[in-house]
Amino acid sequence: MIEINNLVKRYGDIKAVNGISFTVNDGEVLGFLGPNGAGKSTTMNIITGYLSSTSGYVKVNGHDILEEPEEAKKCIGYLPEIPPLYFDMTVLEYLNFICDLKKVPRAERKEQLASILSMVKIIDMADRLIGNLSKGYKQRVGIAQALVGNPDILILDEPTVGLDPNQIIEIRKLIRKLAENHTVIISSHILSEVQAVCDRVVIINKGKVAAIDSITDLSKKLSGSSKLSLSFKGPEKEVMNALRSIPGISNVVSIVANKDTSISQVEITISNDSKTDVRASVFYAMSKGNWPILEFRSMDPTLEEIFLSITSA
Amino acid sequence: MTAVYKRELASYFRSPVGYVALALYGFLSGFFFINQYSGGNVNVSNEIMSLASFFVIIVPVITMGLFAEDKKRGTEVLFYTSPVSLFDVVLGKFFAAITLIAILFVNVLVHMIITAASGGVVNIGTWGSVLVYFFLAMLFISIGIFASALTDTQIIAAIISFVVILCVQLLSTISSLASSAVASLLSASLFNLNPEKVNSVCDKVASAISWLDPFSKTNDFRYGVFSISPLVYCASMALVFLFLTYRILEKKRWSQK
Repeated sequence: MIEINNLVKRYGDIKAVNGISFTVNDGEVLGFLGPNGAGKSTTMNIITGYLSSTSGYVKVNGHDILEEPEEAKKCIGYLPEIPPLYFDMTVLEYLNFICDLKKVPRAERKEQLASILSMVKIIDMADRLIGNLSKGYKQRVGIAQALVGNPDILILDEPTVGLDPNQIIEIRKLIRKLAENHTVIISSHILSEVQAVCDRVVIINKGKVAAIDSITDLSKKLSGSSKLSLSFKGPEKEVMNALRSIPGISNVVSIVANKDTSISQVEITISNDSKTDVRASVFYAMSKGNWPILEFRSMDPTLEEIFLSITSA
Repeated sequence: MTAVYKRELASYFRSPVGYVALALYGFLSGFFFINQYSGGNVNVSNEIMSLASFFVIIVPVITMGLFAEDKKRGTEVLFYTSPVSLFDVVLGKFFAAITLIAILFVNVLVHMIITAASGGVVNIGTWGSVLVYFFLAMLFISIGIFASALTDTQIIAAIISFVVILCVQLLSTISSLASSAVASLLSASLFNLNPEKVNSVCDKVASAISWLDPFSKTNDFRYGVFSISPLVYCASMALVFLFLTYRILEKKRWSQK
């Protein structure tokens, strides 16, 4: 369990982290969400003992990270934003070095490394130089490094940044597998990523906690003010008036209108108290007017919109 | 400590640094040795002390990357977030560099064997020179490590340690320069001082600065005259620089700027 209490980190006049408090329960996968510069990495660096806090404390399994650093650090595996890899070593040499550094007993070492290598699927790469590996494999070696010493808690700072879509899916699979017997904290600025792997999210903005919620509660809150995007062929004004008369639709805004092809795109806002599914009504209204629908989709809320909806609520 | 020690020592020989140093040492020590050998009067102490004056080149090369490279690559995070003390990390790197110096010294051991076999001078004074050599190495390597922790650019680290080590080597010159500068300042008619007093002040300035000179302190070892205070001086200076390095690393954690 990690207990974070009223954490403040000051850099000159700027408070990078300004009074963050939350707890992470055993066995939980916690998403740490926020835009760039929100203080995600700084908070993670404080939790792992890389930086000290100006005030407030972090307790890892009951050990204060500054008072009993060795005890606390033994419980944590950390993958920073830039994986801390030595490019001049082979994967196996590097992991053995990490074993030395984390004081893994010699007797357990071989077995532990074998299981880590197979878990992150880098057995074939064990004798390759890290500098020659692809970015996805480097990230895996970074995760392997965090797993050395069997820590209960894994802290992964933006583990999928800069990877291609296939690699992202692979890393997410791996994280889900690790979550079976670890407490995991993942930071990200991508909402869908956090939704894919986390039980609970902490959203931070400008160094403060904006919301702490389970994924299901969060998406419920967000679906209250969801939006639809509709592209169609037909007279724009007429269509918009027809759409506005549908019960449950609170607003219709034109986004793109092309007079030559008479193709338009509008954004439909569904009112918060709507109980019925307006999508069917939209379809019938369009079909009645004989205006073909070219594209119809719900718009995922962006992180900015989440902040707006959370902070304004 | 052993983890960092093993990694750093091995990394010298994963990159060209270790081999370049070996080649350079092979050439230099061979040159100094052959020079004497052809003269017919071989004293390995001369060779060792000539090599010691090349610390100004060799030490910046082998210490510049020790911390600068970790900072640049982001691997320093490992030291801060692993259950190890940062001072152990500093010591690990320090001993790795000392070990490299010892490996390079094998050249000189070979020359000592050749000298002894062919009837040259290998006596207690020679071993005194060896002792001095390693204590000077400790002092200069700790300066190099300190410089490496100051920056994340290897070249800047190398330049800093080069300049500092050069100043230490030139302390006797610096002391005479400083005393003559003080002399010209004090003997200006403005102060109207007694020339004897001016001289005594100048002597004190010169002796204060040259007291710092590790070379003159250890000069007698090569004649077999041993004393403990020069060794304590070198070792404690080394410890001071290693401690400062440790504080610089800790500062990163606590900095609020």
